[in-house]
Amino acid sequence: MIPVEAVRGLVGRKLPGGTFDLEHYRNWLTNDVIGSPQRSDDLAHPMFCYYAAMGGMGLSIGELFELAHSSGDEGPMFGECDMEVREPLRTGVSYEVRGVITDVKRKQGGAIGTFDLLTFRLEVVAPGGEIAGVCTNSFIFPRKA
Amino acid sequence: MSGEQASPGKAEVGDDLPEMIIESVSAEKMKTMAALLGDPNTIHWDVDDVRRLGLGDRPVNQGPNNMGYVIDMLADWAGDPANFRRLKVRFLGNVFAEDRLVAGGKVTAVRPSPDGRLVDCDVWLARDGTEPVLAGTATVLLPG
Repeated sequence: MIPVEAVRGLVGRKLPGGTFDLEHYRNWLTNDVIGSPQRSDDLAHPMFCYYAAMGGMGLSIGELFELAHSSGDEGPMFGECDMEVREPLRTGVSYEVRGVITDVKRKQGGAIGTFDLLTFRLEVVAPGGEIAGVCTNSFIFPRKA
Repeated sequence: MSGEQASPGKAEVGDDLPEMIIESVSAEKMKTMAALLGDPNTIHWDVDDVRRLGLGDRPVNQGPNNMGYVIDMLADWAGDPANFRRLKVRFLGNVFAEDRLVAGGKVTAVRPSPDGRLVDCDVWLARDGTEPVLAGTATVLLPG
């Protein structure tokens, strides 16, 4: 099992970050998937606080799992999400994303056994520099003995 | 769900939010979202893999889609998606293709803000209206 110190050492690690272009087609398809009404203006679905954050953090999901010393085969799960929209996101806008790993906890769960709960905070920044959204996610990484 | 149903004009602590029902979760739309997100997790589109992993015989919905249903329930009540402010949730279980879902909530606080009133709620999403798959808290703005 990966030593907890190796995982805890990730706390404070900045993610590469990057940009997310909130293109109209992404919003249209997202509305279609969720069943939300299509709009004639540029207001994006609030879920783009999450999609933009994850899409612009500079790591793929698989790379995030690798950073946490895990892989898709080991059954990582999305545990918690805290999504705050400070300014509604708009289509046609390119958002900057910056992120940092804020916490790692090793825990015991009934069915999973030992697991690490890794939390990271992502900020979605509008072109003017204001933070439009903050998304704090926790992923569960089962650890085999 | 024992409280009065909340109307946006006079939301009070204890009021229930109007429920939103998703009659049947679409497997085809999970494929769309997997492609949009670049999500390589096969449980969202490969039924053989779902079976191999012992998860049953229907694709598993993406967790963020489940959050989206709850946000739409809130936005519908608050009058516009622009009035959504915050959602904090824990994922409690899987949603599968063809599941019938019910999203709901209850007002827990009403706070003044410069733009109107901020309404805090407990929110949830349940399979068949009974088995919770997501639960948490949310805040929306009621302008005025």
